[in-house]
Amino acid sequence: MPDFARAQLRRQRANFALFLGPALLLLACFFIAPAIVDLVLAFTDMDRTLAITTLTLDNFSRMATRDTRLLGALGITAIFVLSTLTIFNVTFALLLALVTTAVPRGMGAFFRAVWLLPRMSPSVVYALLWLWVVDPNERGLLNQILVHVLGMAPLDLRNDHPLLVIILANGFIGASLGMIIFTSAIRSIPEHLFHAARADGAGPLAIVRHIVFPALRWPISYMTIHQTLSLLVSFEYILLITGGGPFYDTTVFSLYAYRRAFENGQYAYGAALSLILIVIGVIAALVLWRLMDMRRLLQVPRIEVH
Amino acid sequence: MQVDATVAPDVGAAAALRADWGALARRARWKRAAGQSGLLGFLLVVSVPIILPYFWMVVISFTARSGGVSTQVLWTACAVIVPAVLLYSVVHLLAPSPRVRVVAALLLLVTVGALLAALVGGQLHLANYRFLWRTNIIEEIRSKATAGGQFPSVWTAFFNSLALALSQTAIILTVASLAGYYISRFAFRGREAFLQGMLVLHAFPAMTLIIPIFLILHWVGLLDTIAGVILVLATIELPFYVFVLKGFFDAVPWDIEMSAMTDGATRRQAFRMVVLPQVRAGLIAVAVFAFIRAWEEYIFVRTLLIENRNWVMSLYLFWVSDDIMGVDYGIVAAVSVFYVVPSLLLYVFCQKYLTQMTIGGIRG
Amino acid sequence: MNWKLAIAGTLASALLGAAAQPAVAEDVVIKVWSRADRSGPLRAGNIVAAADTLNKMLTAINSDKRVKIELNETNAKGYDDDALDLLKAFAVDKGPDIFVLAHEWTGAFAQAGYAWNLEDHIKKNPELYGDIIAPLWQSVSYKGARYGVPQDSEVRMLFLNNDNLRKLGMSDKDIAALPAKVDAGQFTANDLCDLAGQAVQKGIAKYGILHRPNAGPDFQMLTDSFGLEPYDKATAKLQASKAALRSFYTWVKYCTDKKALFANNTSMSWDAIEQAAFTGDEAFAFFHGVWRVTDQMKGLHLTTKDEYFHRFTWINAPAGKKGGKPSNLSHPIAYAVSAKSKNKDLAAYIVGLASQPYPNMQHAVTTNHTPINYGEQSMPEFVDKGWALVAATPMLKYASFMPNHPKIGQYNAIIFKGIQGVETGRLTAQAASDFVVDELENELGKDVEIRN
Repeated sequence: MPDFARAQLRRQRANFALFLGPALLLLACFFIAPAIVDLVLAFTDMDRTLAITTLTLDNFSRMATRDTRLLGALGITAIFVLSTLTIFNVTFALLLALVTTAVPRGMGAFFRAVWLLPRMSPSVVYALLWLWVVDPNERGLLNQILVHVLGMAPLDLRNDHPLLVIILANGFIGASLGMIIFTSAIRSIPEHLFHAARADGAGPLAIVRHIVFPALRWPISYMTIHQTLSLLVSFEYILLITGGGPFYDTTVFSLYAYRRAFENGQYAYGAALSLILIVIGVIAALVLWRLMDMRRLLQVPRIEVH
Repeated sequence: MQVDATVAPDVGAAAALRADWGALARRARWKRAAGQSGLLGFLLVVSVPIILPYFWMVVISFTARSGGVSTQVLWTACAVIVPAVLLYSVVHLLAPSPRVRVVAALLLLVTVGALLAALVGGQLHLANYRFLWRTNIIEEIRSKATAGGQFPSVWTAFFNSLALALSQTAIILTVASLAGYYISRFAFRGREAFLQGMLVLHAFPAMTLIIPIFLILHWVGLLDTIAGVILVLATIELPFYVFVLKGFFDAVPWDIEMSAMTDGATRRQAFRMVVLPQVRAGLIAVAVFAFIRAWEEYIFVRTLLIENRNWVMSLYLFWVSDDIMGVDYGIVAAVSVFYVVPSLLLYVFCQKYLTQMTIGGIRG
Repeated sequence: MNWKLAIAGTLASALLGAAAQPAVAEDVVIKVWSRADRSGPLRAGNIVAAADTLNKMLTAINSDKRVKIELNETNAKGYDDDALDLLKAFAVDKGPDIFVLAHEWTGAFAQAGYAWNLEDHIKKNPELYGDIIAPLWQSVSYKGARYGVPQDSEVRMLFLNNDNLRKLGMSDKDIAALPAKVDAGQFTANDLCDLAGQAVQKGIAKYGILHRPNAGPDFQMLTDSFGLEPYDKATAKLQASKAALRSFYTWVKYCTDKKALFANNTSMSWDAIEQAAFTGDEAFAFFHGVWRVTDQMKGLHLTTKDEYFHRFTWINAPAGKKGGKPSNLSHPIAYAVSAKSKNKDLAAYIVGLASQPYPNMQHAVTTNHTPINYGEQSMPEFVDKGWALVAATPMLKYASFMPNHPKIGQYNAIIFKGIQGVETGRLTAQAASDFVVDELENELGKDVEIRN
């Protein structure tokens, strides 16, 4: 091999190591390795003493036959993910993006800032605020409004309608990310398209339908996939606000695995449950990837010089 | 605005048309104002559930006494502020001249300030913020629960959180920008698989990888250290940030690099000196997001830190608000405000970068 | 008693000499793990005081060595949560030298090899441990050996609101006769719920019987009344009887339907419960233990013993059926020494010093726990300030301890979940019993026997 080619090859490999190396190392140690350990754990009997004594398929047989809470958790997850996704994370985010770009720039920025506040504030604070707002006593903000302004009886949302609470709580957070992405996509639509459309007599709704939506097709697809996966695996707010209760009412699947592992000390069973969740998530990701034709997302790079 | 395309060539009718133009313009302005105020009204209504609780928290932190919480100050303040805001919006929509708007704004501000000072000023106090300079107020308020003090100084937690967040951000910025650049510029074997892998990694319920992460950190000896938490947090978020930065790199035109390399720079030099500055906005956005995420981290910190000496803000707030020892709403609110302020400041100052985030190289 | 301490001190300093480096005067660090508990700051405090005493002795003999106590006081929600955290810490070699634990966890820690077998140590040091009330040793024993030193105990009971009883039409004489009726089996658990339900439905009280919002020992008192025996001594396994579970949960359902039990009790905060039971005076009955007397007096501004008993009546957990026996529970907290500690003997001696009558009496009297030494009961300060404890002692007649099985914590948690399910209306009595059986089999597997 001629000298320069060899040098190029060496630089190529060096570049690979330098640029991708750190990421691959971190991911291998703290992402892939734990996933493999999790896979192995699912077939053991580890409980709260963190000791493994045997390898067994017991966890999966229990999941299939003896676990009466499992189907409930799956059902709740389905309701939760679908509702939050369709109502808030995509639809409301879209609405917010459209409305905040239609009003004057300063006001739009202000309202976007307000809607990013839940996402920017620490989860403990956000959960605390929710707990104070839906407090069943008179001092809860919601009950104050209901009782003094609307003259209704005080509500105990956390115990009577817990699913509603977690959908709202997660929805407020979820809407903000979509709002940003959609806003920047809308902003990058060339102005002259809007002017031309108006000159042709298009009303606001028609503009939205024919100019804005086509530009948003990719962001919407990406957001749908991203948020579906996000909702499938996240439970931090649910844990902080309702704890998965009352009883098991708001225990989505990911939280169910966590509770089995930490509240009941059945680490191996929790690992088995999360294995199932991983499989569900991966399938969902791949299916959605295909459906939304994300291949086009990957532009082939143009310069291959090292 | 509707454009009437038919123009009468009649000279006599020109004067009548001129008057028509004026009326048309006014009607269009009114329609626009009505539409805008409708949209603004909608935004205001849906934003109330967010604004009100945060405002309430701030109010509680400045007014609550002896642990209780009342909303009297809140409603009084709202009764003053809301009409002022509505008044201002009316002025803003009706009077297009900036001078009038500024004068109205100032007038309203002064009135609101005076009214608030008169009505609720007497109830404001800083006592709830004394956790900033006194360490064990919870035990002072309720009763002693420990031999060694139940909480450390809040500044210990604050600086620990700061160290955690800054280190994690530094690691993410470095690693993600390197990786994002490489994926954006080089076609290597397995590139598509790598990207798909990144997306799939996002599907991993990172929370439930806690047990294996716990075990691995134990085997490596990083358990119960902040360093371990930093590495774990950085890795969990990495796939998302690689994608985001790849998007920013994709948007940088090739010409810049090409010209740098024809001038004799190596790829690495081109990356460092020419391309990186171009994605400054993206780097700032990622840095802000990463910082805020680490600032608020609760679950991993709770699980991976064993002994009580490694306090961070999220744990501090959680335990202060945990009612086994009795809740003092004023102090909890004050700690929350103290905890939120850094994220808020960061967000407010870097807002324009955050709104520029796009995904994956497709822009509109 | 000074000579006891002198012997202990000399022994300890001899050990220190053995433990520390010969030429360097360094502190021997003893790590202590304890839970921040408003009703027990002296649990850790007495250890610190014991170390201080030791250090004073070392100074007296001009030694350079000192004992340094490193405290790790956690904010766990309860002793069960704390025990789980502690097990996790031990599993990764970050355990302390001395730890405070609820006695029923002794088995779990002993079996896992984290608690040191103190049998020898206790036998060899009668000067330190000879006065400890004999039955208390049972609570820290596992498989015939002692793994801990009892730190305190208490009596649990139902506090009935006399004002509510009077409003329901009972005379003072009736009220005074109530505890005896409970003990004789004439006043059953159902009768209790009838009364509580009446109080709520007539608007006399906002809550019927308020209990703790998380899993805890209290509920064993109630299940005991319905014949649920959690432990089989013969097989050394946990057990549950389907019939007993069913009758227990039927009672819970009965009470919930009568509004004697509040649907959201298990998701109330401790703060709200205390508010209702103490300051707010909204509860007909409060189910906890004698150490709450201080809080009750503070919250309701009662100053003397007479005022207190004018306002409250204590009863055991009533029997399930007429003519049955009531039940009570005593739940000692214990000190234990880590088997993995490098300074096991030293740690054990510090525990011994902290368990002496005077420090223990300070804890007992300030937080209303029952003493661990016989001698404490005749101390003047105890007789003067501990009237509540003196009054509670007769109730120990019906008291039992929780079994020291390693998995009793999980057992308890499952029973509690069942109660939560019935109270919130998610489970019927039969469903709750099935749920508990399911969960027990799933979680405890071979360690539990389900009988019919």
